Amino acid sequence: MSRSLPTVGPGASAVPVDHAAAAARFTADEARTDWHDGALWHVRRNRDRAAAAVPEWEALRELASAIKEHTLARLDEYLVEFEANALAHGVRVHWARDAAEHNAIVAGILEAAGARRLVKSKSMLTEECGLNPYLEARGVEVVDTDLGERIVQLRQEPPSHIVMPAIHLKKEEIGTLFHERLGTPAGLSDPTALTAAARADLRARFLAADAALTGVNFAVAETGGVVVCTNEGNADLGTALASVHIASLGIEKVVPTLDDLGVFLRLLARSGTGQPLTVYTSHVQAPRAGQALHFVLVDNGRSRQLARAGFWRSLKCIRCGACLNTCPVFRRSGGHSYGASLAGPIGSVLTPGFDLERYATLPFASTLCGSCTAVCPVKVDLDAQLYRWRQQVTAAGLAGRKKTLLARVAGGVLGRPRLFALAGALARALLRRLPRPLLRAGAGPWGAARELPRAPAQSFRSWYRDRQRRQGRTS
Amino acid sequence: MSAREEILRAVRAARPAATPHPDVRAFARELPDAADDLAARFSAAASAAGARILEGRRSDVARLIAGAYPEARVVVSAVAGLAGTAPLGDVPRTLAGIDLFVCEARFGVAENGAVWIPASGAGARAALFLAPHEVVVLEREAMAANLHEACARLDLAGESFGAFVAGPSKTADIEQALVIGAHGPKTLTLILVDG
Repeated sequence: MSRSLPTVGPGASAVPVDHAAAAARFTADEARTDWHDGALWHVRRNRDRAAAAVPEWEALRELASAIKEHTLARLDEYLVEFEANALAHGVRVHWARDAAEHNAIVAGILEAAGARRLVKSKSMLTEECGLNPYLEARGVEVVDTDLGERIVQLRQEPPSHIVMPAIHLKKEEIGTLFHERLGTPAGLSDPTALTAAARADLRARFLAADAALTGVNFAVAETGGVVVCTNEGNADLGTALASVHIASLGIEKVVPTLDDLGVFLRLLARSGTGQPLTVYTSHVQAPRAGQALHFVLVDNGRSRQLARAGFWRSLKCIRCGACLNTCPVFRRSGGHSYGASLAGPIGSVLTPGFDLERYATLPFASTLCGSCTAVCPVKVDLDAQLYRWRQQVTAAGLAGRKKTLLARVAGGVLGRPRLFALAGALARALLRRLPRPLLRAGAGPWGAARELPRAPAQSFRSWYRDRQRRQGRTS
Repeated sequence: MSAREEILRAVRAARPAATPHPDVRAFARELPDAADDLAARFSAAASAAGARILEGRRSDVARLIAGAYPEARVVVSAVAGLAGTAPLGDVPRTLAGIDLFVCEARFGVAENGAVWIPASGAGARAALFLAPHEVVVLEREAMAANLHEACARLDLAGESFGAFVAGPSKTADIEQALVIGAHGPKTLTLILVDG
């Protein structure tokens, strides 16, 4: 079963992502677009309520940002400290330069343990690496156990959101899927009943699993343990039962101390779903009796991103999803339109670093309104980074002919005051005289969904000149 | 060069300018004193997370459990002095058939209604997640105001595992509809005891 859109690695497609074209397919269904927009805005409002209930919220964000920046500036030291403490507890620590190495390490661990059945909990890193198809090709049965992830796995599609993988689906669609795959009664679409069916199906798989793989929210250098946050309890059920636990983590997940961890835990769930804390915040410190515990530390482009002066702060991200929920473009184009394992503003900032040509359209999938930056719990300057990527995309000649030409013409006009005044006068005259359909056609895709403004009688500059003259007379 | 060496070398070469490590304890000390009535704030937050709250003396616990879960046949207890009907087995999978699991938390967190349960308090870690229903005993006085205090209190020495648990397991993955009882317990009852 191949479903992921790995960002890099074995299954990555070389076809450039056309975000605007994919978004147009999504918005063709207007009712669904409105529904999707509303569902995410609801989560954004839950976040607002949770944040407002903490008086020190803004100071907390500042603190979290400062801790992450401090940590990233000494990341090699904290990684070594984390590794030493983990090793002291009997954890086996592996290092992977890239996605292919990560996948090979995981496959090697499973093979050595004779494990054929793997239960997974949410891990954006394994989506990034394309782990599922890699393991399935080697005969491993991979079962995603987070309900949303299970739904998209059964549909053979990637998750559309970091925190809510199946947010793009309606309950009736999930009901049909479960009828076909889990044998629920036809027409059943009640979320409680569907969840119960998934619970029963997955409980049997948990009990039969040979190995469990989890993502990691935080790795604490001073304790050598990892912290996994879930609401469903799926990560814990998997790791408490299986005789092998593999935790895969990007190297940027390290925080120095438990005190630092507390700051991020206060921010993560409030920003992501509006809960004060996820139901389970689990610290995995050492293998259980009879269990093997592996940590796989993955670079896969992170050290390269750390070296980029304008972009290293994106590594502060704690994957809460708040920037997706608030983004007017994400809400109305859906996670799949980004064609990458991470969507939304954070995805558009991280993925161009993997392959600028393939992801050249993503930095333009934004209005640069800055709402993402305003809600980010660790103060990643997302809109500024999107703007910087646009400049790099354009400099590399990847912005596309239309965009490049338009920018060149606009630059030429805006840089010449007299030409600008002339163009303005011409535009006002045309807006008044040309028939409406022709005008809207001339405005391109922008005009397709909008009315053009009524032409003002005069430009701002001439209005201002007149005003100065009048004031000169009265004073 | 090994992957480890290569990654560490690349990270070292990429390091941005150093900045100081913020003092989280100093930040926490500056917060307005929220030490009053922690148990009441804890109860409100835990209820909001879907937990049921009972209160009583330690000697009342068995009676409170029997009253709350009259149907429970197979009860496993990790609380000293509180007998269950089945032993806390060593093999995680043998716990799959239990009706109710009872354990004791070390402390609660007033700001979010979570309780801290280390592996040494849970007995078998799997029971915490396999049981369909769960009772957690907690001393009323054992409260941290917020996660700063809670994290300062964590003692992980000798623990293979520990979890903050806030309410029964839940999901909202189908159309954002909240469903209690995802993969873990469907109900969680907290018993606040005096002394």
